[in-house]
Amino acid sequence: MPDRTITLCYRKIIDSSAVKPWEKMVFEDTYAEFRLQAQYYNQEQKYRSYGELLQHVPGADKLPFLVSAAMRGYLQQLKDIVPDIVDNLGRHFLPFSKFQFELINSDLLDKARHQIGINFYSEPLRWHDTLGAYLLVSLQPQVASDVLTHLVALQPYLAIYSLQAEAQNHEADTR
Amino acid sequence: MIMERKNFLKSLLVGAVSAPALLSACGKDADEVTPSTDSSTTGTTGGTTTTGSGNCTVAPTETEGPFPTKVPASYVRSDITDGRTGYKMTAKISITNSNSSCAALAGALVDIWHCDAEGNYSEYGGSGMQSTNYTSVHFLRGRQTTDANGLVTFTSIFPGWYSGRATHIHVHVYTASGTSLKITQIAFPEGTSSAVVAVNGYKKGMTGYTYNKSDNVFSDDTAGVEIATVTGNTTDGFQLTISLGVPA
Repeated sequence: MPDRTITLCYRKIIDSSAVKPWEKMVFEDTYAEFRLQAQYYNQEQKYRSYGELLQHVPGADKLPFLVSAAMRGYLQQLKDIVPDIVDNLGRHFLPFSKFQFELINSDLLDKARHQIGINFYSEPLRWHDTLGAYLLVSLQPQVASDVLTHLVALQPYLAIYSLQAEAQNHEADTR
Repeated sequence: MIMERKNFLKSLLVGAVSAPALLSACGKDADEVTPSTDSSTTGTTGGTTTTGSGNCTVAPTETEGPFPTKVPASYVRSDITDGRTGYKMTAKISITNSNSSCAALAGALVDIWHCDAEGNYSEYGGSGMQSTNYTSVHFLRGRQTTDANGLVTFTSIFPGWYSGRATHIHVHVYTASGTSLKITQIAFPEGTSSAVVAVNGYKKGMTGYTYNKSDNVFSDDTAGVEIATVTGNTTDGFQLTISLGVPA
């Protein structure tokens, strides 16, 4: 397989079962912000869930954007490294600079139903090979002939987000 | 094609050879599987079976940290300009309690938001991917807590206008605990010497402008209680003051 350039997406789900301090703070603060912002779209107090607001109130689809202001500061604490995803040496290594915040579910009256997703989009990686359930990747750019690599396991909520196709003639050359 | 299949078989072989080592590496920490909070979302995914090892991955093994600290929403700031260009405007908004002889209401949350010089709000196009480097996505939106005099002060730019609406600022006032008290908008005075005329819609001019008397929000405000006092000029900037009564 010729090397290819990919980006990974890790979709981190945070809900009421969060235990780590960072996750708990993001959970609490995004829920508080949802309760603030949702009132604008619920002035007659007819609805209680994000799903209902989305279905019945024009403009409620702006809520994820409005609520995301509550977690931007927490993202900066990650120092541009995707959380949770470690290489097979147990180290966090995956750099990101782009993300997308999702409100999955929420409920004005029941915090336990609040659930958000943060999609972390990695910087481009060189995908050298696949070893079992592991991708052998390297961070770019590297100029040395000895390319330093990371082995990262395919796992739930981690996917290849984009694939930069190599020129076809390169593939032909290797045959 | 043939080469691809050969490569594929080769990769399987390598995978098989390295599998025992990998499995033993993840065996001891199997209860610390990385995405541990996921099970409630979409249930078990097909990926678990196809990857063979499920979500059995090496647990983080690193020096503790960085230690997260509590951060307020990025709305909490007095200067909401975020690099938007326009004539400087200072907005002083006093909140009074209409249920208590219009006494100053301290400790209330006041959110404001308005459009930029071109008439655009920050939410447009804001639902997609964001960059961590570009921190000003929530431009011209801010939140302050009223002081003992019920006052909040924001630094911003004079809003532009867009088709169908008079110049305005949105305001949402909440109790300290976040219960909505009032959702309203601030209107701007009009007339030959007004700030609206001085700013002249930035590059747009005033052709097609909707004046307060034709505005679907402000047209019923015949007493003009929603209209702020605006002083200043395009050189030194503008000062907006208004008092809003809310039922607290």
